[in-house]
Amino acid sequence: MDKIVENIVFIKSLDLFKDAFPERIDQILKNKEEGKKIVGTLCLYVPDELIYACGVDRVILCGGRSAPIEAAEQYLPRNLCPLIKSSFGSVIDQKCSKTKSCPHFGLVDLIIAEATCDGKKKMYELLNQYIPIHVMDLPQKPENQNALEYYIKELESLKCVLENLTGNKITDAKLRNEIKSANETRKLLHELYELRKRDSPPIRGTEMLKVLQQMHFLSPDGFRKNLVLLLDELKVKKRENSGPRIMISGCPMASGNMKVPEIIENRGGLIVVEESCTGTRAFWDLVDENKELMRALAERYLKIPCACMYPNDRRIDQILRLAGDFNVDGVVYYTLQFCHGYNVEKYRVAEALKKSGIPLLSIESDYSGADTEQIKTRVDAFLEMLE
Amino acid sequence: MISIGIDSGAATTKAVVLCENKITGYAIIPTGFDFRKAGEAAYQEVLSKSGMDETGIGKILATGYGRSSIGFADKTISEITAHARGVCYLIPAAHTIIDIGGQDSKVISMENGKVVDFLMNDRCAAGTGKFLEYTAKALEISLDELGTLAQLSKNPAKISSMCTVFAESEVVSLRAQQVKKEDIAAGLIESIIQRTIVMVKKLGIKPDVAFVGGVAKNPGIVKTLEKVLDIKIKLPEEPQITGALGAALLA
Ligand code: SF4
Ligand code: SF4
Repeated sequence: MDKIVENIVFIKSLDLFKDAFPERIDQILKNKEEGKKIVGTLCLYVPDELIYACGVDRVILCGGRSAPIEAAEQYLPRNLCPLIKSSFGSVIDQKCSKTKSCPHFGLVDLIIAEATCDGKKKMYELLNQYIPIHVMDLPQKPENQNALEYYIKELESLKCVLENLTGNKITDAKLRNEIKSANETRKLLHELYELRKRDSPPIRGTEMLKVLQQMHFLSPDGFRKNLVLLLDELKVKKRENSGPRIMISGCPMASGNMKVPEIIENRGGLIVVEESCTGTRAFWDLVDENKELMRALAERYLKIPCACMYPNDRRIDQILRLAGDFNVDGVVYYTLQFCHGYNVEKYRVAEALKKSGIPLLSIESDYSGADTEQIKTRVDAFLEMLE
Repeated sequence: MISIGIDSGAATTKAVVLCENKITGYAIIPTGFDFRKAGEAAYQEVLSKSGMDETGIGKILATGYGRSSIGFADKTISEITAHARGVCYLIPAAHTIIDIGGQDSKVISMENGKVVDFLMNDRCAAGTGKFLEYTAKALEISLDELGTLAQLSKNPAKISSMCTVFAESEVVSLRAQQVKKEDIAAGLIESIIQRTIVMVKKLGIKPDVAFVGGVAKNPGIVKTLEKVLDIKIKLPEEPQITGALGAALLA
């Protein structure tokens, strides 16, 4: 017995994101036929701006579906983050590649990966047998004196890799252009999130998540275009959403992974903000357009508060700030099973929230449906506690 | 006003009738396969036990794992909220609830019958009544005997597996090593208690501590829990019905 009835005021432009898949795949196929190179990415630390400035198209490869996991487990341990297994599975699963529903296999010329968590790094070694990979290194202590310089160097090599792949040059003019347009998108998202601060936000968390899951799947232009339409619609349509105001904080929810947010909202909660890579981490900071380009890019991307980093106080500060700004009643700390970074970091986040008197519910889950009923019980109890 | 609470648990279904805020009857029956059927049966049984028929019944509230299967209930509520309310009624000074049921175990901290925080075990059977049920079988004894037997032990065996299935084979290998039956029994109980203690410590313990759920009926386990926590534990007269009672109170 779910407690929420569908909102009666229909937001047409949400369908632009929902139905984007086939059209976008066609677009990528067409780009490829015309000689454009396609890269795949799996993390926010890889700047889109460089990729697009080089005339390359990109598609996100983060897996949120459970289907490819079985195939992946022939190669990867069971006790591994489902996002890693799902991503790997959808690349290697032959069944998958024959259908048009899987954009990964055969489409991507190069994967631009990143040295974040151990599971991903090791998975990349295996993936490399199927697709060429460039792994960007990341400074693990972004606060360190040399971290920025080091990251700039890594961006410089990425620039070379992309230029070699395509034969195109990344000129300052092109890069500046891409930075500008990426900032535009970020500003639009900020504008949208402003609306979510209202007492009755015009958009629910599950709707917003489906939008953000498309952010690195669609082309930047396509995404921004849809976003403008969505914003226009949300600004004028009267829509009432209510319920205890929830922040989700933790692991990314890649496309296909909707279990927990759906339970939260079907049981009567209202997600008003998500501190995650499919949430604020994807767009919060802007690139400073007045600085030297590569340095400005590096500064912006190093600010992403990922749990792979040490120390990561920035994330805790951000959670507290968001909780206040969005007038949050409670936080659901969401982690994927075997994601040590976010699972361990939970303790410090919990401490900080406790000090601020903000209730926390922690949910660790995978992509299966086995724990749905248990999660419902916890979510119900949590929402009842907040009421 | 007469209200009824039904707690549809994985192992047992409980029902409580509340009349003018007094318990006039309760029923505890095995759930079996069908949550809905068990809910109806518990409802009929509790009515006849309280000498009532359906006339004059006010609200019915369902809680527990199968709460959404109880179609005739007016509303559902999570068992965490329900237990807190039920325990508060029976033991007003309680601030912490330890609930070890068939399917899961939880620790709840509360103020005046309202939940302020809670923890629940993960999805598997480790640390629940199921763990004891299965491992008792491996010892060829009943659940009740397990608790009594354990009290004879001077040297509890160390059971290292949290997983119910592994623990079962561990018991078999301890038997093969001719470890005393009472020592294995005590080891099993300590193991499940350790699991609960982790949750209790995470949440912080504030007296009075109430122990509810089917496992609380086992004196051996209550004793061990008191020893490990070094605290006197409050037991409701019937520890299995606090969820249904809470539901009836909230109806
Ligand atoms: S959680 Fe960390 S590693 Fe994963 S996508 Fe986000 S930034 Fe990258
Ligand atoms: S969710 Fe955690 S374990 Fe999984 S890829 Fe991201 S950082 Fe790594």
